[in-house]
Amino acid sequence: MSGAGSPGDGADGTAAPFPIPDELRIDTAVARRVIGAFIRGQLAQAGFDRAVLGLSGGIDSALVAYLAAEAIGADRLLCVLMPYRTSSPASVADADDVVRRLGCARDLVEITGMVDAYFGEDGRAGAAGPEGSSASQLRRGNLMARMRMAVLYDRSVTWGGLVVGTGNKTEALIGYTTLFGDSACAFAPIGDLYKSQVRQLAAEMGVPDPILRKAPSADLWPGQTDESEAGFSYPELDRLLHAMIDRRRTREELVAAGFAADLVARVERMVATSEFKRQMPPVAKLGPRTAGVDYLYPRRRPGSARP
Amino acid sequence: MQPLRIAVAQIAPRLGLVDENLERHHALLAEARASGAGLVVFPELGLTGYLLQDLAGEVAMRADDRRLVELAAAAGDASAVVSFVEESTDHRLFISAALLEEGAVRHVHRKVYLPTYGLFDERRFYAAGDALRAVPSRLGVGMGLAICEDVWHLSVPALLALDGAQVIVNVSASPGRDLASTHETGLGTATSWRQILRTYAQLTTSFVVFCNRVGVDETISFWGGSEVIAPDGEALLSAPLYDEGLFTVDVELGDIRRERIALPLLRDERPELTQREVDRIVRERAGLAPDTTAEPDAGDAA
Repeated sequence: MSGAGSPGDGADGTAAPFPIPDELRIDTAVARRVIGAFIRGQLAQAGFDRAVLGLSGGIDSALVAYLAAEAIGADRLLCVLMPYRTSSPASVADADDVVRRLGCARDLVEITGMVDAYFGEDGRAGAAGPEGSSASQLRRGNLMARMRMAVLYDRSVTWGGLVVGTGNKTEALIGYTTLFGDSACAFAPIGDLYKSQVRQLAAEMGVPDPILRKAPSADLWPGQTDESEAGFSYPELDRLLHAMIDRRRTREELVAAGFAADLVARVERMVATSEFKRQMPPVAKLGPRTAGVDYLYPRRRPGSARP
Repeated sequence: MQPLRIAVAQIAPRLGLVDENLERHHALLAEARASGAGLVVFPELGLTGYLLQDLAGEVAMRADDRRLVELAAAAGDASAVVSFVEESTDHRLFISAALLEEGAVRHVHRKVYLPTYGLFDERRFYAAGDALRAVPSRLGVGMGLAICEDVWHLSVPALLALDGAQVIVNVSASPGRDLASTHETGLGTATSWRQILRTYAQLTTSFVVFCNRVGVDETISFWGGSEVIAPDGEALLSAPLYDEGLFTVDVELGDIRRERIALPLLRDERPELTQREVDRIVRERAGLAPDTTAEPDAGDAA
């Protein structure tokens, strides 16, 4: 089997502009069906019929917007665009293209003031104090993600809808997320789809071509891309994670299957060190019955829905 | 012989809301009866929802619960299979299925295999049943009940058929997973289930009635795809994946006799051979006899 996989099929039957490894191909009709019912079920069980999400101009949030619009109707969906001053102008334009095509509600909230008020700007210190002006890209990126989370949860109140997560399985497994930032949500419709599967489904649903074609990026500074930063391609990473996690292959088997030993070791480390991001914080067990340990109820238990 | 109309209620039970689920059962029983159904089957934990966790004790009912008797009365001259959390007199909780006939709870099957691996955690919340019995039914044939995971163990359909079941009813709450595009149905779970159920129907030369729920509990989506399979392994009804509905099909119970005479697998079955070998294996596994298949040194260490 080729490492690159076969070309994806677009909605119009033409080859999509990215490779989809064969073993990751999904039945997109079933996926749409399951995810649609999941979105409706999560909302209904919580007593909501509206949803809100952060639309970045990237493929993940675009796909979730398409899925949510299909599940509940575009009139019940609010997409919030939250650029920072260094965000690419193309991101806003691409996000607006999604909004226009779907016909959903749209809100633009610049987070520049919120972020700069903390880290400071133009030599003026912010709430973080003088050292804030030399904050690393990691700190700045994390704060941006958390400011966007804060905006979405505020809009959740004004719009009267639940916050829909836009994270995918690949980034969750390697820990390429900000805790209480972009990973914060009421539910995650594509959280069990690898990036390659996101691409396959997005192409199938008609997500605009510029969004399908652009290199995945956290858009923290001009020219940043996930793949250049991490040093591997998504199809390669997805194949490795799929074999490692879903197919339970050992390190020896992965290397025998052709994955580079140093890549396997590095990805194993990323998965292990980000374990905490995928779980609820542990509660010190003291009482007779402890939430998450031996007090176990479905979150949508009877009486849990907003009246 | 009159054809038997089988109605499969592929519903999405509401989690923990017994009153609403009861109402839905009554409505669908009435609809099925009006259409002439002689057997109406509801899914696993149809009266309570599946992912109950600590709610299990709060929705549990005794097998002689008035609500079950009322459902039996509502079934009228049809047979019905419903499923609920059963609490025994010594307060164990079971996942149970009841055969309702002639206004009474005729038989209760307690799930014998509780999956506690992967996405399942049943053994934490429930006790496992200890009995498998085929029972006579008003349909004139023996009936065997099984619940979901029960039929992922070969012995269950085999024993039910040996015990006289000619119709094996399996009620399920099966979560769908694995969307790899290579699967025949687009869903790995559905493909596996279809394969094993058709095999069972053929090998037991019995009708297999499979009722699987739909809907979403928390993270998991149930895939439906209920089936009625003839004793030759042919699916007579394949309900759609994920759609809620009451699906019916007419079957000829006379097909059982035809198939069993043409293909006398059950006639040739040798329960005494099975018993002898199982007895031996049980003794060996308990260390009461030398293990004939153990590795050469295994015995020395003991």
